Amino acid sequence: MKDYIILRIITKLTIPLILLFGLYVQFHGDYSAGGGFQAGVILASGFILYNIIFGIDVGKAVLSQRMSKILMGIGVLLFVGVGIMGIILGGNFLEYNSFSFDSTSGQMIGIFLIEIGVGLTVGNVMILVFYAFNNEES
Amino acid sequence: MIDVYIITIIAIILAILISILRFISLKDIFTKILTTNLLGTKIVLLILLVSAIESTNDFSDIAMVYALINFISTIVILKYFENRRISK
Repeated sequence: MKDYIILRIITKLTIPLILLFGLYVQFHGDYSAGGGFQAGVILASGFILYNIIFGIDVGKAVLSQRMSKILMGIGVLLFVGVGIMGIILGGNFLEYNSFSFDSTSGQMIGIFLIEIGVGLTVGNVMILVFYAFNNEES
Repeated sequence: MIDVYIITIIAIILAILISILRFISLKDIFTKILTTNLLGTKIVLLILLVSAIESTNDFSDIAMVYALINFISTIVILKYFENRRISK
């Protein structure tokens, strides 16, 4: 896609806005529509657009398949880790009340960490599905 | 004030019907893709109008996501129909 100058310039202009919108959906999910799942999908769609326009080799230089798998595992570990942290601090699985001195702020911290884990996992799964459909030998 | 919204919604739905008729009567694949893109833009306008009627800001986020997916899917389908693969 070297000779499509309009597509390249528009993509370079819009990808930061897409990533910013994904972060907004991630961190503003408590008050409006959104959350970790949707933010992960939006971030992954921005990255897939980058891959499509600039070639899949340039995209793999930014985020390789191995690094994507590692980040996916880190997301699941964060989710399960927060759940087991509730058991360690004297509650049920995924009970956030004892994370802080106050039960409300403890629940805010718990939801924040859980949503980050979900966003990491879902975004990297979407990127890995895109890579799986675009293997070199096919 | 609600009448203005209803008239606008009826006009957009008429435009969507005309686009669907044009989509059926066409033979060229690239113009069909362009018509699909046009339909997506109309649906974004409908979502924003519903958001204005309900006087909430939640639907505008959904409209932005819809416009983004519309843009990306149009690029991917055009690239696929040009060289029969999307990675390259």
